[in-house]
Amino acid sequence: MKNNYWLLSFLLLGCFFSSCKKFSYYQINPNLPTQADPSLLLPNVEQIFFSTISVENEFSCRYMVYSESADNGQYYGWTRGTFNYTNLSQVIKMEQEAARVNKPNYKYLSKFFSSYFIVGTTQMFGDVPYSQAEQSLLNNNFSAAALHPVYDKQEAIYLQVLNDLKLASDSLSASGGLINNDLIYGGNITQWKKAINSYYLRVLMSLSLHANDPTLNIAQRFNEIVSNPAKYPLFESNADNAQLQYYDIAGSRYPYFNSSEAKIYYLMDNSFVQLLKGLNDPRLFVYGAPTINATSAGLTPTDFNAYNGVQGSAVISVIQQQQSSGNVSQINSRYYFEPANEPSVLMGYSELQFLLSEAVIRGWITGDANSYYIAGITAAMQFSDYSFPAAQGVPYTGPLYSDNDIQTYLSQPAIPLKAGTEIQQIITQKYISMFMNTGLQPFFENLRTGFPVFDVAGAGIINQVNGVNAVPKRWMYPIDEIGNNAVNVNNAIKSQYPNGDNINGVMWLLQPQ
Amino acid sequence: MNFTTFFKAAPDVPLNLQLALTRLRKVTCRNPVLFKSVIIRVNITALITAITLMQTSAAVFTPKISLAERNVTITSNNSFAIKGKVSDQKNQPLPGVSVKIKGTTNGTVTDLSGNYTINANNGDVLVFSFIGFVSQEITIGQTANYYIQLKEDAKALTEVVVTALNIKKEKKSLTYALQVVDGETLEKVKTPTALGGLVGQVAGLDIQTTTDFFQNPGITLRGQTPLIVIDGVPDPTADPYKINADDIESITVLKGAAGAALYGSIGINGAILYTTKRGKKGVTEVELNSSTMFQTGFLAVPKVQTQYGDGNNGIYSYQNGSGNGLEGGGWVWGPALNQKDPNTASGYLELPQFNSPYNPNVTYTYDLGNGTTATSHYKPLPWISRGANNIDNFFQTGIMSDNSIAITTSSDKGYFRISAANNYQKGVVPNTSLNNSSFSIAGTYNLSQKLTLDGRLSYNRQYSDNIPTTGYGQNTLLYNVALWIGADVDIRDLKNYWAPGEVGLQQSYYNLSYYNNPYFLAYQQLNGYHSDKTFGNLSLNYQFTKDLSLKLRSGFNSNTVNEDEDYPYSLIGGNPDGNFSTSDATHFDITTDLILTYKHKFSNNFNLSAIAGAASFFNEDKGLSASTDGLSVPGQYYLTNSINPITGSNYLDQRQINSLYANLDLELYHFIYLSGTARRDQTSTLPLANNAFIYPSVGVSAVLSDAFKLPEFISFLKVRSTWAQVNSGAISATNPYASINTYNNANKFNGVSSLSYPTSYDTPNLIPNTVQSWESGLAIGVLKNRLNADVTYFRNLEFNNFQNITPSQTSGYSSLLVNANEFVNKGFEFVLNGSPIKTDNFQWTSGFNFSNNHTWVKSVTYDTYGAGYYNQYLKVGDRIDKLYVSEGQFSADGKLIVGANGYPLSALYSTPMGYTDPNWIYGWQNTFNYKNISLNISVDGRLGGLNYSTVNEKMAWGGTALSTVNQYRIDANAGKSTFIVPGEVVVSGSATYDSHGNLLTDTRKYAPNTTPVNYISYMESTGGNPYQNNYFYYSGTYLKLRTVSLTYTFSKKMLSKQKAFKAASVSLIGNNLLLFSKLPNADPDQLGNSYETPSTRSIGFNFNLKF
Repeated sequence: MKNNYWLLSFLLLGCFFSSCKKFSYYQINPNLPTQADPSLLLPNVEQIFFSTISVENEFSCRYMVYSESADNGQYYGWTRGTFNYTNLSQVIKMEQEAARVNKPNYKYLSKFFSSYFIVGTTQMFGDVPYSQAEQSLLNNNFSAAALHPVYDKQEAIYLQVLNDLKLASDSLSASGGLINNDLIYGGNITQWKKAINSYYLRVLMSLSLHANDPTLNIAQRFNEIVSNPAKYPLFESNADNAQLQYYDIAGSRYPYFNSSEAKIYYLMDNSFVQLLKGLNDPRLFVYGAPTINATSAGLTPTDFNAYNGVQGSAVISVIQQQQSSGNVSQINSRYYFEPANEPSVLMGYSELQFLLSEAVIRGWITGDANSYYIAGITAAMQFSDYSFPAAQGVPYTGPLYSDNDIQTYLSQPAIPLKAGTEIQQIITQKYISMFMNTGLQPFFENLRTGFPVFDVAGAGIINQVNGVNAVPKRWMYPIDEIGNNAVNVNNAIKSQYPNGDNINGVMWLLQPQ
Repeated sequence: MNFTTFFKAAPDVPLNLQLALTRLRKVTCRNPVLFKSVIIRVNITALITAITLMQTSAAVFTPKISLAERNVTITSNNSFAIKGKVSDQKNQPLPGVSVKIKGTTNGTVTDLSGNYTINANNGDVLVFSFIGFVSQEITIGQTANYYIQLKEDAKALTEVVVTALNIKKEKKSLTYALQVVDGETLEKVKTPTALGGLVGQVAGLDIQTTTDFFQNPGITLRGQTPLIVIDGVPDPTADPYKINADDIESITVLKGAAGAALYGSIGINGAILYTTKRGKKGVTEVELNSSTMFQTGFLAVPKVQTQYGDGNNGIYSYQNGSGNGLEGGGWVWGPALNQKDPNTASGYLELPQFNSPYNPNVTYTYDLGNGTTATSHYKPLPWISRGANNIDNFFQTGIMSDNSIAITTSSDKGYFRISAANNYQKGVVPNTSLNNSSFSIAGTYNLSQKLTLDGRLSYNRQYSDNIPTTGYGQNTLLYNVALWIGADVDIRDLKNYWAPGEVGLQQSYYNLSYYNNPYFLAYQQLNGYHSDKTFGNLSLNYQFTKDLSLKLRSGFNSNTVNEDEDYPYSLIGGNPDGNFSTSDATHFDITTDLILTYKHKFSNNFNLSAIAGAASFFNEDKGLSASTDGLSVPGQYYLTNSINPITGSNYLDQRQINSLYANLDLELYHFIYLSGTARRDQTSTLPLANNAFIYPSVGVSAVLSDAFKLPEFISFLKVRSTWAQVNSGAISATNPYASINTYNNANKFNGVSSLSYPTSYDTPNLIPNTVQSWESGLAIGVLKNRLNADVTYFRNLEFNNFQNITPSQTSGYSSLLVNANEFVNKGFEFVLNGSPIKTDNFQWTSGFNFSNNHTWVKSVTYDTYGAGYYNQYLKVGDRIDKLYVSEGQFSADGKLIVGANGYPLSALYSTPMGYTDPNWIYGWQNTFNYKNISLNISVDGRLGGLNYSTVNEKMAWGGTALSTVNQYRIDANAGKSTFIVPGEVVVSGSATYDSHGNLLTDTRKYAPNTTPVNYISYMESTGGNPYQNNYFYYSGTYLKLRTVSLTYTFSKKMLSKQKAFKAASVSLIGNNLLLFSKLPNADPDQLGNSYETPSTRSIGFNFNLKF
């Protein structure tokens, strides 16, 4: 009998040690949600699309020179680009969640972000998937067609973008619900409308080579916005800038803060330094740093002679040797010592003023081109007039130029628009204003207008057209599309580029009518 | 001596016999009770007057006594109870030994204490037999008690081994491959983990060792990560540091799903079973085992050039430590060291350096070494190779000390063992050490005749106040000690690592854009690790009858790990204001099995053994981590010292598996063994509709040598084959919620939380990846088993694989997880064991194993990449470890294409280079015994397989590789471009490719590249490819002298002179002693090969004492 008690007790132990939770209990992930309010997706989407600062752009746009090793951006030796449709997926998801909880304002913000995404993408490659894109995510559609979206003609994409932006601006309203967790405008719907309308004008201007296209009807669209400020408000000052402000808090710091590379290898391109010096532009003091030799010689940071650039198109050994000579300006130390530094601009008030100025010149709207242009420069200089707080590693404090200096700059005879060179002047000022900002916009402006001329004279340049060094016109399609969507991408290549998928192919956008 | 005296001395005898003999010359018998017949020889002259026999129990004993001349004959026709005990050679009782009277069917088995009782007649022959032991026969004659010691069968092929779920089986009956490593092999030469001792010992087991503290070695069994099991309890966290190597009785390696199918989904990749020591019945013993090893030198360490210093393009002059300008960007492509210069005081080139005296009032003018002059307030110092021995000067001799004590004791009810062990390591990196302590109690107790309790409880504590940071990164040691430092900097000058007047705030170093002072890292950037692990099991076995028993076993693993990281102010690569982070992780798992076992021998030709069981497995992981965002007070490492709000996160992961299983083993005609298992797992990690699976296995083996007459030289021959099907039971081994598509946390910006949507999508109703494992093997013993060989061939068909197929990312998803594609994993394993030399005094035993396995793409489900393509490059029939590199463009005949600027063109497609898996892995163990001296030598290695070497790539890039000392470098330092990349330039034509990179059309015409480039710039831009030609992939072939131990065991005779010790031995031991490898500057055996602590050679001694 005694043994039987033992047996019984250990069988009971066995039950005790076995877990008794139902399996359905485990079907909920306690760590992560399966549904989300769109306001929880918005901050991520904003961080993705408002992070426009990348030194790669600066090397390609002849602002800066990379001296650690030969860089394909600097030498126009790039081949393929990359798609970032996973970023579009975040927008689509936000739109979906907005519909689920019936908060339509997020849907219209999604229209803006989608448009911004696809314009950036089509400008790099040409035709890309859009109308048939994202079907798997949107509709749980995993058919062969949904998994291999066809490519849309660039013109059709632009038409869609113009309509979507218009819809977004028209539809955002207080009745669409509060916009929460908004890192950019704190939920201010009017400011969002200003951003969308201003961006709409940028898109229209990017189509300037197709100004006579009756389907696109660019001039009329441009005029429609500018002539109706009540319905279509535009940026009114830098305070309206579509930009992401950085903070000295983990995860919110300037992207090059504390970057070891930035401390050594980012030099100023000589063409850009000479451009600024030629115009006595004090922004040189906040963009670049005095050379080692100038500092040793006791030159102050506000002395134009303290700055010198290096030719970015020269072979890397020449660049390195010049850096070793101590006679080349690095970028300003605020870019790697200041955790907050300046905001990351998607589009600023100054750019809007330059667009309006150019539109006047092109005859799309009426007005004073020069005032728009001067307002643009003023806003840009105010934006860049970086006030240096006392901080570790920053050897000087306070702003390096004043409003008076801006007025002095503007009063120079070289500044006001001159007949025949208006576009060049406008684009050049826009170019100066976009140092370390606004993504690849200055590169696309260069492709559209040819201004400023990017230096390709150095021996480091890799890309050639008919044996002559050249700035590429595009990026080749991504390798994953060649692998995953071969039929469609090959059709797109055939229909656009008679010489195949190469970086000198001229897309519809850049083909003059 | 007379009879009377004798019989009184044997009080057990139920009979008193009195004999009165005048003279008795010789007594040859002792106990007439048991005699059928006895003849007492007496002296021929003896006079026998009387013999009286008095009996107490006539029923038991009716003797007949007859006298003839001088003989006395006592005859009995009854049988008597024979009692005794059976043990093995180590005096451990052997339960279950069959005791039979020869020629009859009468017999019994020994009980749990090895005791037996049997009725036998005088003259009967008792046969004692037990699997794994040599049978012994005894003729009943002289006493009622027979203490039998069975010898283990020298033929290891009949040994009993622990198999899945801790079921003991006769090795020769097994239908799958299995290897056992005796715990003794781990006793002498210590490695930080209990796994380290397994390296090279087991065919198919590949262990990549690690030199880092508490880093798990990379372990693969037939190419997959096996399950670790301790005393029958799965240990999913598999921490090999927590097991005290001296507690290990044996390690069984179940090599594939076939052997481990009874573990269900978690056993899909095979299993490594640790069996711990329990104690010995009848033995009370204290054992001390002590090893001390010194890490005296490096087996593999980066060898750097010491002829050129820091700088770039042959120029260097210290400015301010920013790396800018004349400092050359932190490269080690500076001016030649030890250049003579007649114009300086020292006679050498003199340049301002980081330790130059600074005087703002003096301006020094100096020559940069290239004819140009410069000025500085830093005094120029001789530019000489002061730091030629930086690596040796920085690292120190490591010590590894292992001490353990074990006490075993027993009573008639049971036996147990208590042990304690401590492992202390002083690292080769200054200010690093670790301790690893273990306590364990284990034993077996008979609660009643039928109920046996067996259990173990272990506690382990692992702690280190500072584990060195390794790998390629700004705050890792070798990065700063062996790569980004030129020989112009003497590391001994860096010991005062704070900048003057800025203690706690600012480190001092020669370059503070990228690098950290190594001493600053070692003494200020601390990584603390503290872990408590408690684990154990309890099993109760109830023996209903001789054939039927029920066992309940429950085991658990409970771990907490706490890690702290201190980041000081001014750490490069960290927040300039310092940081502190801490994390706590707890793990708990419990496995409970209820197992009914039935064993019965139906006839001589039919033996059955069956089990049926149920199991429950529950696993929980919880974690919490938090970090500061800057430190308000420097050097104070706690959360409340944070400047900004602290950031933190937590997680909870739970999983459960409920299982039922059964196993049936049949033995037919003494030589055919059939085995079948089935297990049903229901798992929480899959959707409810789809969460239960049955895993079957069947196997057969035949010991042909037991059935057929084979040629004389073949002493053993067995063939075996097993088939099993198991799936992984989960979508992810680490994330139990992988089947649920959720949002992820995105960056919290300025206090605003955010979510992102993963664009990798798990399609619904996924079936866990499934393996159909088939293996066959042959074991042969020749020349009386002097030489044994075992060959296994296995073939795993892997289907329902989880494959991320990549649709066009424009579909919204960048990857879809689906069940797709089939792979075949195949391999051979060879194990050879033998005793080539065996004499009375000298014996050489040797074991050799080698194995391989590779996986091929068998079929492709989706033609996402084109018909028959598994991904963009691999297609059906390709090995999946085929290496494609994206390193350049090539002509149709494989020549590198160079652009107009003299640099190789960027790759448009990847190109194949070889395979990454080794062709073979091998190990060879040898033991030489001469009298009391024993020598163990173990070597192992790999053959083939390409491995990427970050160490070599970065050294060539940075300018420290020996190969960078050449004429091109001299030219580049002089400003000349003389290096011509070996390759072709395209002069006309073009090529088109399909989407897999295959050439379609090619009209290219070539000319040799003639454009010289600057060597230094070229190396900095490309890391030296393809000048190096191998893109820094090196053959993984190596041979390593892993361990040597020379042991002297004191003989019993020598020890008998003193009372203190029962046994004693002393050994000289060495680990990681010699390496022959195709990989320079690093240890190919090391996990990662990316700036880990260099691999060291360890030499020391071991004492083992028993008393």
